[in-house]
Amino acid sequence: MKTSAARLRLLMVFVLFAVVGGGTMAGAGGAPTVEEIALMKGAERQKILEQGARKEGNLLWYGTLIVDQLMRPVKAAFEKEYPFIQVEFFRGNSERVAQKVIEEYQARRRDVDVVDGTVSPAMVKKAGFMQRFFSPYLAEYPPELKDPQGYWGVTNLYFMTLGYNTRMVKPADVPKSWDDLLHPKWKGQIVWSTSRGSGAPVFIGNILAAMGREAGMGYLEKLAKQGIAKSTASARALLDLVIAGEYPLVLNIFNHHAVISKKAGAPSEWQPMEPVASPFNTIGLAKDSPHPHAAMLFLDFVLSKKGQAVFRDVNYLPAHPEVSAKEPELKPGGGRFKKVNYLNPEQQFEKGNEWIDLFQQLFVK
Amino acid sequence: MWILIAVSVVTAYLVVPPLFSVIQTSLTTTTLAGAIEAVTLRHYRDVLFGFRLAAPLANTFYFALGSSVLSTFIGGSIAWLVTRTDTPLRGLGYFTAFASFGTPFILYTIGWLLLLGRSGPVNAWLRSLFDLTGPAFNVYSLPGMVLIESFLWSPLVFLMLAASFRAMDPALEEASTACGASGWQTIRRVSLRLILPALFSVVLLIFIRAFEAFEIPALVGLPGDVQVLTTSIYLDAHRMPPRYGTAGAFSVILMLVVAAALYFYSRTTREAARFHTVTGKGYRPALIRVGRWRYFTAGLIALYSFCLLVLPFFIVLWASLLPFYSHPSLEALSRLTLRNYETVVKFPKLFDAVRNSMLLGIGTATLVMALTTLASWILVRTRLKARWLLDLLTTLPLVFPGIVMGLAILRFYLIVPIPIYATLWILLVAYVARYIPYGIRYTHAGLLQLHRELEEAAYSSGASWLNCFRRITLPLLTPSFLGGWVFVFLISAKELAMSILLAGPRTPVVSVTIFELWENAQLGELAAFGVVWTAILLTVAMGYYLFARRYGIQLQ
Repeated sequence: MKTSAARLRLLMVFVLFAVVGGGTMAGAGGAPTVEEIALMKGAERQKILEQGARKEGNLLWYGTLIVDQLMRPVKAAFEKEYPFIQVEFFRGNSERVAQKVIEEYQARRRDVDVVDGTVSPAMVKKAGFMQRFFSPYLAEYPPELKDPQGYWGVTNLYFMTLGYNTRMVKPADVPKSWDDLLHPKWKGQIVWSTSRGSGAPVFIGNILAAMGREAGMGYLEKLAKQGIAKSTASARALLDLVIAGEYPLVLNIFNHHAVISKKAGAPSEWQPMEPVASPFNTIGLAKDSPHPHAAMLFLDFVLSKKGQAVFRDVNYLPAHPEVSAKEPELKPGGGRFKKVNYLNPEQQFEKGNEWIDLFQQLFVK
Repeated sequence: MWILIAVSVVTAYLVVPPLFSVIQTSLTTTTLAGAIEAVTLRHYRDVLFGFRLAAPLANTFYFALGSSVLSTFIGGSIAWLVTRTDTPLRGLGYFTAFASFGTPFILYTIGWLLLLGRSGPVNAWLRSLFDLTGPAFNVYSLPGMVLIESFLWSPLVFLMLAASFRAMDPALEEASTACGASGWQTIRRVSLRLILPALFSVVLLIFIRAFEAFEIPALVGLPGDVQVLTTSIYLDAHRMPPRYGTAGAFSVILMLVVAAALYFYSRTTREAARFHTVTGKGYRPALIRVGRWRYFTAGLIALYSFCLLVLPFFIVLWASLLPFYSHPSLEALSRLTLRNYETVVKFPKLFDAVRNSMLLGIGTATLVMALTTLASWILVRTRLKARWLLDLLTTLPLVFPGIVMGLAILRFYLIVPIPIYATLWILLVAYVARYIPYGIRYTHAGLLQLHRELEEAAYSSGASWLNCFRRITLPLLTPSFLGGWVFVFLISAKELAMSILLAGPRTPVVSVTIFELWENAQLGELAAFGVVWTAILLTVAMGYYLFARRYGIQLQ
């Protein structure tokens, strides 16, 4: 018993030395640190990254993008560009991805290179496990679509709108303004999600931002009387319920989902109400990325027009201002809406709990 | 003695770290990076006084009680018909229970919600029948929750009770009949009382499971504004950073409730000798002749099978053939397509997920049953003082909500230098730890019914302990052992709450894959994958059934 405990202790000491010693040696050897690679600029940058990436050979990506629709196509396009790099990925929702990175870092496991998600990079950043980075492509984006501190860029946009069943709602009856939602005929006919990142809390935050605190609260109190059904399911699943005829209206769906279903023949349509709330998907570099060269090439690729085209091709809404959507009307300025309220993840982080409190207070019995 | 130590150490290794982690989580606040910030009782205050406690608590209680009683009634009646009577269609009862038990909850729930929803076929049919304007009933309500939860758990009740019914002492019933009691009197006065401990333990188990259930309260209760404790916590914990502390405090409170219930249970079953039914004398109980009632009883089994297997499977099959979901109608018939199956077959993770889930199911079932057979033997047969410790250890995992246990195991293996993180091994460890209590219910109940005199006969004929265990105890336990094995296999094949945290990038499992499809993609693909997976499970259930028949393991 005693000897095995002693042996275990010895092993742990050894592991500790190996970790610390390995770290120091790497530093002393003059190899560039993750930070140096991430912030590198200049003409030689691409060449150095490719050289380093050849040695690294792969990268690990923790993300929230849907595997079949996006992770796989992005991986394929990137590996075609850089055949010497293999992309491996893990998929989870935003909270799970952030939690996984944080748990692993706490346990001193440094596996992950790239992290994406609506709020996961911001969350990991708060925990201190993200690395600022420079990419020449970030300059092509407007200021609201990148982190001022340089921790994340944006891969794609989401626009939260009303969704409805075209067989149950006549064109003339479709609610077109916030006030139309208060009509007595919609009592008990609307459903929304409790999801923090896209559901009722986001709706509430958007109303408060659009109308101001006082008028916004007044509106929400009236809306609460409509008896909106709640669900923990995702916006996509709720739209499916609406298509199946369970409810005529769903608040806060992703507008491109309505179009994808409409193309398959489903009775679904979307209706914007301005300003349209727009959360977006961010992407960034993990602090101690074990494959920083490959990871930087990957971030460059995803943010470049070429990478953004992959998002467009699968019917997502590219963040790059010069890459239009496959259905231009889905993006602002495409003819159906102009005013957008971009929901910065940091802001969602700060205000999110307040929105959830309001939701519980007003809408949960 | 050395077996006690070995079994206890293994069990403790599996069970104690999560327990420690839960208690620690419930008592501390952490920074976002996970470092412990302060020790506090705040989480307990939040749980106890935070969410306008009265209504959710009352709902939770009604929900858990209603579900446990109703599912025990449904599953128990069918189990009794199948094991103790000569009613036709008994095989169907078994088949239904096995097959539906392995199907992921989420698939079932979606199926029933589509059937019973506001615009679903059942409501539409009732509406036209009674000429109503609105939906005839609202499934998004407390009765709706109880109904679906009972459906979900009734196969478990069936499988657990069937083992006990099968091993009832016929002599007592025969005596009753010989004394002139009617069939009904015998059932009420003798049979029911004999299986009382088993019945009670099943009700208790379902009560606990329903008490901490999340899927049904979230999918059915929340849209209808019926809140229970778990959904309250879910809504409350939907914050940044996530509030694990509250979840931890909830688990600790739940553990106390369960501990109290278990104490009560052990008191009622203390005089275990009264329930010995497999003795050195007669063994297999006789089947009761149902006579002219047999159409009725066969009808009940068929109805059970129809509600539990055919209907949800049909609706999921229907959904899998549509490009987007619409309720069954002639008009929708024209849209049927096989495209979802094409997508699913091209989904390369499918085969990995199926393989991993099968491997894990087999591994978990074998380990759990081996461990719990030994543990039960110690609990039932020895007079060692430290037995209570083993009893406690093997019951403890029951009180962890899956998600809490998953998180605890995740943290533990990130910190200790055992390199199983992100491999199938961590899932195996988690499953085994979680399903020990289920395995032990089988072997414990089985052993409780085996009278000591059979083993004593072996010892007095000069057999060693090992010899006796191998040649007497194990063979007699075979029905319980196999029943438990299949049970644990099916339950681990669909485990979601822990897998979602522990399955790594290279270790996909079926339940998580289905959940991801539900979260993100369309219903059609999920349904198609569900149909494929259900077909595989049906094959397993069928295979077991045939195997058991062939090798003379009596099923009915």
